[in-house]
Amino acid sequence: MQAYISSIWGYRFFWYSLVENDLRQRYRGSILGLGWSFLQPLCMTVVLCIVFGGIFQQDYRFFGPFLLAGLAVWNLLSQSISQGCNCFFMGESYIRQFPVPMAIYPLRSILSLGFHFLVALGLVVVLSLFFQGWPGIVPILSLIPALVTLLIVTWSLACLFGIATVNFRDTRHLTEVALQILFYLTPVMYPPAALEGRRIAYLLKYNPFTPFLELIRDPLVFHRVPAVETLLAANALTLLVLLTAAYTLKVWERKIIFHL
Amino acid sequence: MARIVMEHINLTFRVCPNRVLTFKEFLLGKFLRKKEEDKEIKVHALRNINLEIPQGGRVGIIGHNGAGKSTMLKTLAGIYQPSAGTRIVEGKISSLFEITLGFEPECSGWQNIAFRSYLQGETPTTVAAKKQGIADFSELGSFLGMPVRYYSAGMMVRLAFSIATAVDPEILLIDEVLGAGDLAFLNKAKKRMRDMMDRAHLMVMVSHDLESVRSMCDRVLWMDHGTIRMEGPANQVIEAYQQSMSANVQAA
Repeated sequence: MQAYISSIWGYRFFWYSLVENDLRQRYRGSILGLGWSFLQPLCMTVVLCIVFGGIFQQDYRFFGPFLLAGLAVWNLLSQSISQGCNCFFMGESYIRQFPVPMAIYPLRSILSLGFHFLVALGLVVVLSLFFQGWPGIVPILSLIPALVTLLIVTWSLACLFGIATVNFRDTRHLTEVALQILFYLTPVMYPPAALEGRRIAYLLKYNPFTPFLELIRDPLVFHRVPAVETLLAANALTLLVLLTAAYTLKVWERKIIFHL
Repeated sequence: MARIVMEHINLTFRVCPNRVLTFKEFLLGKFLRKKEEDKEIKVHALRNINLEIPQGGRVGIIGHNGAGKSTMLKTLAGIYQPSAGTRIVEGKISSLFEITLGFEPECSGWQNIAFRSYLQGETPTTVAAKKQGIADFSELGSFLGMPVRYYSAGMMVRLAFSIATAVDPEILLIDEVLGAGDLAFLNKAKKRMRDMMDRAHLMVMVSHDLESVRSMCDRVLWMDHGTIRMEGPANQVIEAYQQSMSANVQAA
């Protein structure tokens, strides 16, 4: 276990340069370049803010940062699943030639997603500061363990879905459909007050994505440290996914190559 | 100190000829009647391989297509995990399998030098020091600034070989690829490999070019259907292999 992790660390220059390259390739030849990373979530937020802000009668000064933070976390989690599906296929040419730890390939996928997530998060901080003022030092500090949790959970998810896709190619399409449905069952666009007393509120509350959204939203939008139940739920889920991923990887580490 | 030991190595894997398993087959597999061509095939790629290559060994692997030569090399490299048996490898491995493998096609030659070197355990500082040497040996000059997807097979071999041998690996595994390089490069590569062997390193190469094997290797393995059919001094094994092939041709 320890040897495995240190071997991942030993190849850090390799995966780091792959991630760097993935990010560069994405904006190759585009004029705005990195600007797209800012613009994409910003445009989405503006549109949703106008449409849903109107429907739910929300103040854009609260609803803007609320939406952006929710979208950022949702994109990170859902894309680490959908892109995680492809991670071993993307690394196929390396897998066939060099015996490096398999966990490097899902890590590569989630790190470039993580970069876009951090850009969006930076935007949330700016918007929140501008509209709502300084959230206080304790909520800001609570973001650090939250980010570590997100790193672990996305890495594990990408790993699990990567291995699943190697075995069943249909996983990719199944998750696509499932994520589309889940998006509407996740409180990304719904303000908490709008759902009080409705039956659907339960679905949103027990959605496994919700605690992770709150980890980021509570400090940045509501200026408070996440509730104990949120922390417990997020960490328990993370641990569960991590253990499943670690076990699956242990079994499949050297078999993946025969299924590519 | 480089050394390879394989004891009772077996490798089997299953292949679904048409496509991989889908969820439907996974769930309903037992109830669905399978078509003949959909049945999975079990490949017994290596059967009870026993092998010891000492320090300084230069081993060639020959045999007809599908005899298990490349599988053997990939098992030596640690890419395939044997289903049974023990594999002991001492020393740092550098491998050259299929030429296009392990290149990022959209990236330039220079960037790929960095990627591959990192994979072989280099750091940005050591890569910076070795980069020029790699570029010089490959003789690719200004082509190195071009994305690798525009390279010809020969150019890729030049680059891959230059990188793989620049780190001074203790164990070099080469699968057939050198054939794609031109004659000038081939001679240069052979010289470099000989220099490496003089430093007591270990090399295993798979090739159909028997003359290359004869000139590069001191020992030869003749593989047949996943087993070692014959093992011994290069000349002796190559002769026996050639005789068996001409006997086959006459029989047919």
